[in-house]
Amino acid sequence: MPERQYDAVVIGGGFFGCSVALHLRGYVEKVLVLEKEAELLQRASYVNQARVHAGYHYPRSILTALRSRMNFPRFIEQYRECVDETTDHYYAVCKGAAMSKVTAAQYRAFCDRIGAPIEPAPLEVRHLFNDEMIDDVFIVKEQVFDAARLRARMATDLGARGVEVRYGADVIKVRASDERGMQVAVRNGDGVESCTARYVFNCAYSQVNRVLAAAGLPALPLKHELAEIALVEVPERLRGLAITIMDGPFLSTMPFPPRGVHSLTHVRYTPHCAWKDNGTSHVDPDRLLRAGRLRTSYIHMIKDAQRFLPCMEDCRYVDSMWEIKTVLPQSEIDDSRPILFVRSGDQGNLVSVMGAKLDNVYDVLVEIDHMFS
Amino acid sequence: MARSDCFVSVVAPLSNDGSMVGAFVSEVIDVLRANYTNYELVLVDDGSKDDTIERVMSLLDQYECIRLIRLSRKFGTEIAIASGLDSVIGDFVVVLLPESGPVALIPEVVRRAQAGQDIIFGVRKSRAGEPLWLRLGARFFYWVCGRVLGLSIPQDATEFQVLSRRAVNAVIQIKDKHRYLRVLSSYVGYANQSFTYEPVSRYGSLRSKGFLSGLELAVSIIATNSTGPLRLVSAAALLASVANGVYFGYVAVGTLLGHRAMEGSTALTLMASGMFVVVLGVLAVLCEYVSRIVDDSRGRPLYYVLEERTSSVLLADHERRNVVREALQVGGKS
Repeated sequence: MPERQYDAVVIGGGFFGCSVALHLRGYVEKVLVLEKEAELLQRASYVNQARVHAGYHYPRSILTALRSRMNFPRFIEQYRECVDETTDHYYAVCKGAAMSKVTAAQYRAFCDRIGAPIEPAPLEVRHLFNDEMIDDVFIVKEQVFDAARLRARMATDLGARGVEVRYGADVIKVRASDERGMQVAVRNGDGVESCTARYVFNCAYSQVNRVLAAAGLPALPLKHELAEIALVEVPERLRGLAITIMDGPFLSTMPFPPRGVHSLTHVRYTPHCAWKDNGTSHVDPDRLLRAGRLRTSYIHMIKDAQRFLPCMEDCRYVDSMWEIKTVLPQSEIDDSRPILFVRSGDQGNLVSVMGAKLDNVYDVLVEIDHMFS
Repeated sequence: MARSDCFVSVVAPLSNDGSMVGAFVSEVIDVLRANYTNYELVLVDDGSKDDTIERVMSLLDQYECIRLIRLSRKFGTEIAIASGLDSVIGDFVVVLLPESGPVALIPEVVRRAQAGQDIIFGVRKSRAGEPLWLRLGARFFYWVCGRVLGLSIPQDATEFQVLSRRAVNAVIQIKDKHRYLRVLSSYVGYANQSFTYEPVSRYGSLRSKGFLSGLELAVSIIATNSTGPLRLVSAAALLASVANGVYFGYVAVGTLLGHRAMEGSTALTLMASGMFVVVLGVLAVLCEYVSRIVDDSRGRPLYYVLEERTSSVLLADHERRNVVREALQVGGKS
């Protein structure tokens, strides 16, 4: 069987993979996306807070905050129909240096400095919070996106630009073939097939190192967390409200549009365990997810939320979503969210790409422009 | 026995307890796991200088639902407990000291609290084994507090306590620098009960207080929680001032009438030294109170947190080896 030949193969059909594939079409003709799941945007692009960051989240990393501010309007503009604009977003700052890493005054000054609109919250919202614990509450301009609509949009765009997508495709081997570039072997159902491509883009997020292992390359030093996102039905008063409590081991609850409920995440309880990959070994994240011994911490999240937002006592637990969150070790220390863009292989044609937030994708696209210019 | 659905938090302050923290934590987790569906153990490190932190870090990889709060330096046991209470999330919170806390009794005391009590005070069964001065001193202290100052402190209460969510919320609103949980929880009121038990000793013997630190503790508890001594000295000062006035009148009138007042230095010395006893006594008490006012008026935070860590138990450690094998197999096929 003659091998199919492509100009570029993108491993991973998440938001990054799809965006990279679409962008590559500006430079090359035949692009293929290999997706392990049965649909696009099934994993971390779907299983997350659905927050479109506008900088508010990073009072401890001005650079990340500023980049978010630049990317935010661009993302909103490009994917307007995927954004849920009916939600009001509030940031509450905790009281006391022992509890919060910023004060309300510092937080406000920070938002002013990065040019992020911020106003005191109206009284009826302020009163939802426990005065003993909360210093101040602000209304801000942030957004949530609907991951289901984003998925449909990406599928439409890929179709329109003639990008081929292969589903259920598990990459098992990547190697340099000849001057044509690289050969990618894929387990698809029962069989194994392969194709060749000039460039291979590794956009597998938590599985980046799995792909690198399949290419016989050392793992990148990544840190993974098994993360739980609880889905809850919030009491009437919190419907249509996205609330984030800053800045320390606190929590967020915001609408999760595809399911019509709120997501509830907690800095302390969402990560269940963490591990690091090193050059020689890595844990297969999917094995952990399939292990089936995931013990929910939703009660911990709700109990803590009640201390700040007493009405959370009346919220009803619906479900939990589990996903692997992967970060670069440096963001551990300074709370920054840099992107990963690593070229490996003899000609640097295997490109590993990873970002922490959806809007980071624009930084990746710039890197691709550099690569082809 | 069915596990209870109520959420139980345990707060334990650590201070150079590296030698027994492992045994303590495993004991606590065993009890919690056997009795409750949802629980947390909050360990507060109060500036330990030994290997406590390293040991706790490895415990975090081993047991679920443990949290470590590291204070920026040593703040003292009571403030360490306060920092734990500030962040616990349980419906009922058990406070105990690792060196003497009766871990096995947690289910029993929580059950009592669930039966409608907001506060359960742990009370030691007997003070036998303590030096005579401490036993007498303690008895005198409780007598003074109860009878003279009207300060209700449960007799022989220890750090071992259970607080309901309501009681915790009330206690954490009190930001006193000099704080004694026993006194604070008795101050907030609510339904309470005492619970007599035999403290354990994880160090082999109970660490007994020295005389000065015992005295300091007693003075501090009284000065922080009662204005009784202030009233007492203001009464004494008033009395002394009246006596002085009378004496002044006696001397003045006597001199005017041509009598000579009492002869010589004896009278003078008696009066002066008598007055100094009163004045210096009043000053001493005042100073003690002024120092509390200064401490509390600075409005500084009670403590600073260096970092917080949470359990991170990898679901199964053998996963790592499996994966490496798989990667090798794939390599072999090509």
